[in-house]
Amino acid sequence: MSDKERIRLLIREAELYRKQSLLEESKEKYEEILEFLQGHERYSKDKKLIDAVQGKIRTVEGALDEIENTPETPELSREVHELISRLFSFSENEETAAMEGAIALAKFGQYDEAIKSFKELIQEGIMPLVAAKNALMCHLTLSSADAAIAQFKQWLSQETFSAKELRYLRLTLSDHLAKRGIGVDLPQVSEPIPGEVQEKEEEGIIDISSFVVRWANGPLKGQRTEFEVSFQSGNTISTIIAAQEKDLVDAFKPGLQLSDIECFSPIAVFKGKGIVADMKKISSGRRQRDYSLDIRIEGG
Amino acid sequence: MKGPGSGIVGYMAVFNAKDRVIECKIVYYGPGRSGKTTNLEFIFKAGKKYTNSDMVSINTKGDRTLFFDFLPIGLGKIRGCDIKVQLYTVPGQAKYSSTRKLVLKNVDGVVFVADSLEIRRKENLASLKDLQQNLAEQNMNIFMIPLVIQYNKRDLGDQGVPIMPMELMERDLNSKLKAPSFEASAVKGKGVGDTLRKCLILTLKHLQKELKWTQ
Repeated sequence: MSDKERIRLLIREAELYRKQSLLEESKEKYEEILEFLQGHERYSKDKKLIDAVQGKIRTVEGALDEIENTPETPELSREVHELISRLFSFSENEETAAMEGAIALAKFGQYDEAIKSFKELIQEGIMPLVAAKNALMCHLTLSSADAAIAQFKQWLSQETFSAKELRYLRLTLSDHLAKRGIGVDLPQVSEPIPGEVQEKEEEGIIDISSFVVRWANGPLKGQRTEFEVSFQSGNTISTIIAAQEKDLVDAFKPGLQLSDIECFSPIAVFKGKGIVADMKKISSGRRQRDYSLDIRIEGG
Repeated sequence: MKGPGSGIVGYMAVFNAKDRVIECKIVYYGPGRSGKTTNLEFIFKAGKKYTNSDMVSINTKGDRTLFFDFLPIGLGKIRGCDIKVQLYTVPGQAKYSSTRKLVLKNVDGVVFVADSLEIRRKENLASLKDLQQNLAEQNMNIFMIPLVIQYNKRDLGDQGVPIMPMELMERDLNSKLKAPSFEASAVKGKGVGDTLRKCLILTLKHLQKELKWTQ
């Protein structure tokens, strides 16, 4: 192959990579061409040719810079927001699905829209504590610590949350502010009216979306099995086990102590213990013959 | 556990027994710029009779997929059930790992779009490994899920650009998986239909078994 043919081939390759938006590859190829030209006396003095190749490299670098500097969270239409919430909420439980939809907006960087959704969930009483914490996280991710603090103060002046919940939110917010090097003395939560704590206590339990059981004994010893929570009532979580999962069906007997459970909530992962509260065969409906398992979580 | 009738392996398909509607999810996976969006665009243009909806693409500069592409299609009735399919693409660039995980959640079938360009060999391998890991994170096994591999951009060989021989790509990507594979040029529509058709057949057969769906 002659030098001219080689140069022509390399240019064709570099151009094709550029058209394919494989810009790094295109740049490398142009640099290879430049090196080749500069290494051959016959071409190294051809200023026009070398300028042309250098110009191509600059063009590709410009395109790379443009991509690098493009905001990664574009403004999306309301329809797309709704689509994201709908497509990325997987739970059959409507309330959990609503929370998943709001969290999906945050995961896709649509923080303002996510905050709106979390506020709606709070108003509707759907996992309000989880929604509140996520709303604060969104404010902080948007680098608007002031907005997060203002939001906390607003909740403090309202009756949306119990004193216990507000203390939890205060602790969470101050932790995250401290991690960002923001030293703010958040207002204290006043003591609750006697009786209020009892009434609200159950609402303060973190919603668990999935959990992992690590088997300490029996035929499944050493294995870990993940389950998705289909229901939660207080500290009892429910899941469904398909009838064909015979090992699992046999393993979960009412009263069985589970010493190592990892619980996942939209806001945290925590370890705990549990006891099998119930395990029964589903007698009707779509999941007929499968099993419904209830586990009472007993904390870490 | 996820989805109706599932065991440890989760899948997304929703079977509405009353209305006899099955909705399933197929994800186009692969390295950045391998042609996943081009596949969906071709399907959208060629198959307008199968969809009433627009294709949704959330892109950034240079037509790179930022979040995902989404195209819902209807296949009509099969064995008495109305089959609705949601086609997604993931963003291929390595940095969008969390988005890929989210889009892959509860997937029923996967099309892996590999780039035939020689310079993209490493990226193909890395993306396939990423797919395996992300499936494993949701307790799914790459060897068990309906999977079709597409070797895209075969036409570029004619333009004097080095592309990998099919044997090499098969050895790199499919020697263990032994998934059905197709040569394609998505930009020309070649191989796009065959790839999708095969993935749909595998996915529906799998669901038929899982959902015990009969006429």
